[in-house]
Amino acid sequence: MNALVSELLAFIARPAVSDDDFNALALRLFAHQFEHNRPFQKFCQGRGKTPRVVKSWQDIPAVPINAFKDLTLSCVAPETCARTFMTSGTTRGDVKGRHFHPTMSVYDASMLRNFAQHVMQGDAKLRMGLLFPTEVLMPNSSLAHYLALAIDHFGTPDSAYYLDENGLRTDALCEALQHAQDSGEPFALLGASYSFVHLMDALQACGQTFQLPAGSRLLDTGGFKGQSREVPMDAFYDQLSATFGVSRYQCLNMYGMTELSTQFYDAGNRHVPSVKRGPHWIRSRLVDPLTGQDVAAGERGILAHTDLANFNSVVTILTEDVGQAIDDGFVLLGRAEGAQAKGCSMAVDNFLKAAQA
Amino acid sequence: MTAPIFKAGYLPGLNHADVAWHRLSLGSPHAPLLVDVPQLSAAQMTVLAQRVQHASHSHLKTMHVSDIVRVLDMATARLLDPRDAYRQQLERLLPQATGFDAEMVRLNLNAYLQTFRGLQLQRFVAEDFANPKVLDEFQPRTQGGWTRAFGPELLVHVWAGNVPALPMWSFVSGLLVKAGSIGKVSSAEPVFATLFARLLAEVEPRWADCFAVVWWPSGAAQERTAFALADVVLAYGGNEALQAMQAHVPVTTRFLPHGHKLSFGMVSAAALSVHKAPGVVRQAALDVARYDQQGCYSPHVFYVQRGAPVSPKDFAQHLANSLVGLQHKLPRRVLSLEEAAQVGAWREAHEFASLNDDSTELSGTGLSTVVYSDHPLPLTAGPLNRHVLVVAVDTLDEVLALIAPQRDYLQTVGLAAAPEELLLLGEGLGKAGVTRICALGAMTSPEAGWHHDGRFSLLDLVRMVDIEASTEREAERFTPYEV
Repeated sequence: MNALVSELLAFIARPAVSDDDFNALALRLFAHQFEHNRPFQKFCQGRGKTPRVVKSWQDIPAVPINAFKDLTLSCVAPETCARTFMTSGTTRGDVKGRHFHPTMSVYDASMLRNFAQHVMQGDAKLRMGLLFPTEVLMPNSSLAHYLALAIDHFGTPDSAYYLDENGLRTDALCEALQHAQDSGEPFALLGASYSFVHLMDALQACGQTFQLPAGSRLLDTGGFKGQSREVPMDAFYDQLSATFGVSRYQCLNMYGMTELSTQFYDAGNRHVPSVKRGPHWIRSRLVDPLTGQDVAAGERGILAHTDLANFNSVVTILTEDVGQAIDDGFVLLGRAEGAQAKGCSMAVDNFLKAAQA
Repeated sequence: MTAPIFKAGYLPGLNHADVAWHRLSLGSPHAPLLVDVPQLSAAQMTVLAQRVQHASHSHLKTMHVSDIVRVLDMATARLLDPRDAYRQQLERLLPQATGFDAEMVRLNLNAYLQTFRGLQLQRFVAEDFANPKVLDEFQPRTQGGWTRAFGPELLVHVWAGNVPALPMWSFVSGLLVKAGSIGKVSSAEPVFATLFARLLAEVEPRWADCFAVVWWPSGAAQERTAFALADVVLAYGGNEALQAMQAHVPVTTRFLPHGHKLSFGMVSAAALSVHKAPGVVRQAALDVARYDQQGCYSPHVFYVQRGAPVSPKDFAQHLANSLVGLQHKLPRRVLSLEEAAQVGAWREAHEFASLNDDSTELSGTGLSTVVYSDHPLPLTAGPLNRHVLVVAVDTLDEVLALIAPQRDYLQTVGLAAAPEELLLLGEGLGKAGVTRICALGAMTSPEAGWHHDGRFSLLDLVRMVDIEASTEREAERFTPYEV
């Protein structure tokens, strides 16, 4: 595995790669995972996809993210892993998906390189404010780790967390924002989308707005997840822009998942839904969830990602997100919610609701 | 390519130009169908209701039930005639609107329409009224006095669109009890009721103003208006939708909801000889394939008894093969991305279970799946669209505990069992909440006069009026002549 990790790190460090290079490494990872992960092996065998017959990365079976809840997807004993990230468990009650990372070196390299390019955009350091708890408070949150990497590697010494076990530290944050506004030093505010909603609600209540200096940027991620009111995307970015004085071009959104080791970014949210792109070690397809085949060009499909940084779990995952291919990236069109039954017949979703009632 | 446009609705007395029309996009991206549905103002709804009530007074309530049956029989005969223009429109538009395969619609429509011919309709009436003449005039009661059944002045229907032509049940029921009717079509299937209304008006011109077919967005103000004018509201739909409707029904109006239902099959060891099992499996597969399990009577699970030459696991395997075979004759409709994702999630859940232990097995294609389970799984709803669970049990009595949590939702059981098992099982199933037991292969075609969800189709619509014996006895004292 160490050889694989070294190869992966070298791969991530390269400026660019060819299709063949990507394919070759994806197939190596697939073979590795097939050999060392019994549940994954059975999953693949059930679909007649073994390393013997799979010849292209597109053909690697995409593992539905629910499998992270039901199966142990790891090539090494989970207890030997450096970190285990868990999903928030919002969709299926207390059952949480688990993603095992034997070493953080790959995840970190993936995050740092990609973050430097899309968020730092040439800046070495920025003063940061984080709207999320620390890694110590949330040791199983991949987002907490992601933000810790951001602040440790790219934050100036006066960067800080503004969310802890007591909630949002609005006064301290306002002070920092005011200071940034007065000093002209660019500021980066990063956090969960729903925390931005809570913050904006708090600021609106006291009639407070800011004009952050040029070069400032906002990064939200994760959507609202029922943690705050649902805000339509256009209204959300309008309000962000108006509250902090940052153009929608510098309101960035990161699309990431606990089940991945690599993130996607857009180039601002002047227009929504914005086009998301990933770095050269992740590729995405839009598929029919039943056949796993690519949908016709331009049609809506379920996103499947082949993330080479997922070296220990599964290299290709099938999400529950609906997307559409645009240029060299994709736009997100929401989640594939259970289809509404049309009449008095009952389909799973309705039944679940009925059973819980 | 421009999509064809179908103008839905039947609005006697209203000028189409005065009505606001809402356009629905139905069909698939490859074969779109645009449907314009009428969205009436409160004033228009009121005028329409008055017209329908007035006409039904003059032309429907004055007819004898047997004459009404005769008219309906003629209309059904037209719809069964492949050369008839209405039949041809149905065959063209229903597959387009619903996405169901044309052959599937054609075959199911025939089986369905056969329950609406004269003979069947008379049985339908007799099922609820021992003496059907009680719908025409006061009839003497054996214990003295007189009784007559009056249908509603205005019956408002809210139809669902899960199965094509579904509105015919309540449309016909309304006519048999001589009610003026206003029906709201579903956005998913606005075709059948529209064409049926037009056909009836053609077959019996005096009925032209006795009913109307309209549309409104769920929960809209028109709903309140229509419900306020109705004597009886008969509604099909999801439980949440029904709950919302109920809030709009005045307390003095009778509300007859048909909500979420869950159906399943049971196969006794008696039916699983090497000789008999293939036929049983074929019938079970048809129940699954017909309308892709979209009906409330469609099976989600088959409980199969162990101990026969053909094991439950064999049954599952044969069922999967049968479904693959049926794909040629009755192709499944194309699923939306959301439906496909739901099916995928269901399959994955069982797939993961099969990876963790050997008691679960999946068989099938991307178009249909049979999941076999060796564990006694409780009854749950599947993702429809030809995806079923086959569960092995030692005895069919065991099933009663497995279905108990779904009591409020139980409807049809497709049963393959020996004669001596029938009544015993029927007793248990009835107690458990089931309202209909039929042969496998008949699940999607209820007989004429069935008790839908355990209720009376016609009796529930009427108001019985009694002239008690005392009145008659006393009346004798008031004759102008002395006895």
